[in-house]
Amino acid sequence: MNWLYRGKCWRFGDNLGIDGDIMPLRFALARETDPNVLREHLMSEIDPEFTKKVKPGDLIVGGRRFGQGNPHIQGFLGIRGHGLGLLAESIPRGSFRNAINAGVPFLAPCPNVTQLCDTGDDLEVDFSTGEMRNLTRGKTHQFDPIEPELRAIIAKGGWKDHVKQRLAEAAAR
Amino acid sequence: MGQTITEKILSRIEGRPVAAGQIVHPVPELITCHDWYVVNFDRALEEFGVKKLFDPNRVLISTDHEPVAVTPQSSERQKKAREIVAKYGIKHFYDVGRGGLGHIFPVEMGFIKPGMFVEAYDTHVTNYGAVGALGIALVVEISEVLALGSVWLRVPETVRVNFRGKLQPGTSMRDIAQKLVADLGDEMIDYCVVEYGGEGLAGIDIAGRHTLCNIPLEVGAKSALVEPDEATRAYLAPRVKGAIELIKSDPDARFKAVIDYDLGSIGPQVAMPPTPDNVHPIEKALGTPIQHAFIGSCASGNFADLAAAAKILKGRTIHPQVRLYVTPATQEVAQEAAQAGLLEIFLTAGASITQAGCGPCAGGRIGAMAEGETSINTGTRNDVRRLGASGDIYLASSMTVAASAVNGAITDPRKFMKEITS
Repeated sequence: MNWLYRGKCWRFGDNLGIDGDIMPLRFALARETDPNVLREHLMSEIDPEFTKKVKPGDLIVGGRRFGQGNPHIQGFLGIRGHGLGLLAESIPRGSFRNAINAGVPFLAPCPNVTQLCDTGDDLEVDFSTGEMRNLTRGKTHQFDPIEPELRAIIAKGGWKDHVKQRLAEAAAR
Repeated sequence: MGQTITEKILSRIEGRPVAAGQIVHPVPELITCHDWYVVNFDRALEEFGVKKLFDPNRVLISTDHEPVAVTPQSSERQKKAREIVAKYGIKHFYDVGRGGLGHIFPVEMGFIKPGMFVEAYDTHVTNYGAVGALGIALVVEISEVLALGSVWLRVPETVRVNFRGKLQPGTSMRDIAQKLVADLGDEMIDYCVVEYGGEGLAGIDIAGRHTLCNIPLEVGAKSALVEPDEATRAYLAPRVKGAIELIKSDPDARFKAVIDYDLGSIGPQVAMPPTPDNVHPIEKALGTPIQHAFIGSCASGNFADLAAAAKILKGRTIHPQVRLYVTPATQEVAQEAAQAGLLEIFLTAGASITQAGCGPCAGGRIGAMAEGETSINTGTRNDVRRLGASGDIYLASSMTVAASAVNGAITDPRKFMKEITS
């Protein structure tokens, strides 16, 4: 898996709700889990044009408690559907697991990251080392990367593929 | 470096010393799941091609979120769940009328011991911390544990709370727990275990300990547990087989924070809509008209919660515009309530008593609110539509709910306590 993302920064504030802000609640209630369906509705309640503007490799930068609320996975599957990376000042526990289970490359916690970049900045982020370079501002910042065991789940494409691999390994033993 | 109770439990399970922050794959000693999710985990296991569980002898299923099937569809779902239990050979199955609420009856029946490690589908498995066990909720990843015996877990940090003092009259551990977690705040307790101890703990009964271990979840804690003490031993001795070890954190254990809390420092509290941490002294909500009231749930559905409400309801009747549902959490609580005459008091007052389990709190499938109504209840959450239709939900102690049901508006239970004691 390629852990190096280079793209445009899309900065958001604190307390983005997983239901509503990041993904309309109706997709959680309908148990929709297809990233190709969900990608079309990512952030649509905040910015209806968002999905037309982002490109694969772009980076969402969130504030504190990104993905707060009842931990539904749909918002993170929408992020994955666009091939986006994510940095957030903090992600509550349920959404932290969902980000991994959806196969989204991310860094969290990233203290003060919303102060270190702005929407439109050109960013380069290595999710395997935790290094973020803001090419627009000419500054480099270091955060803690996600543990290798958890990155392995992301690299596999998320929870279902990870479980299938574990089952295959168990059967081979 | 010393260890917290949580680090000790996970070190024992892993067979090596582990510390907060590490990623581990601990194998739980018990796995619990509830009626509504059984068909879902079966579907997931079928998709994965799994035919046998890792260990069906350590799986416990309870019919509690909708114990009395109220539609033909739910009868079909219950039938399917029974077939799935048989298909996998799941050892511990407590159907309607057998156990009750799965976050509480396993403690009563002696499944849970201090220092035990449990994983579950449902978030309120943390109640097992009432006797010093560590319960971790997984939601969909329960399928991975059922199939493979483990899932990754980051060893949580611990916030230690030391109690001192005694409760004020008219105040219960529900008031303390609500105010405490609101004071600690979501930033402080996110992904932490809240561990309770201190000299004030000895005076807190098992019902209060369930409440203390239930409430922090709603504000983002990973789990909660009470440092087991002689009261734990006395409660468990007739219930569990084998030795009871009173596991404690080391004096030099590393805590994220240590908080001292005076049990006598607050009066009745209400969690106002729309979040469980929007907690205020009852004075702020006094007089708010209510139409719906409920006493029960894994947070406050134990015998002591019902008994405290019955003291207020004895010899009184519920306001004509209010309906009050009382749900004993378990079969044992219901039996005790019958023997102690509480059911007679509730029935005489005009309350409706429902089958042991979650009651209306499980999404309002039983005894829901109607659109625009206001409810005061002892459930776990107060987000919009938690009890069916949209309307304001206030969370409070069973005493406050009982007093409010009598008056038809949010009422300070101490008003009635004075009459009781005088």
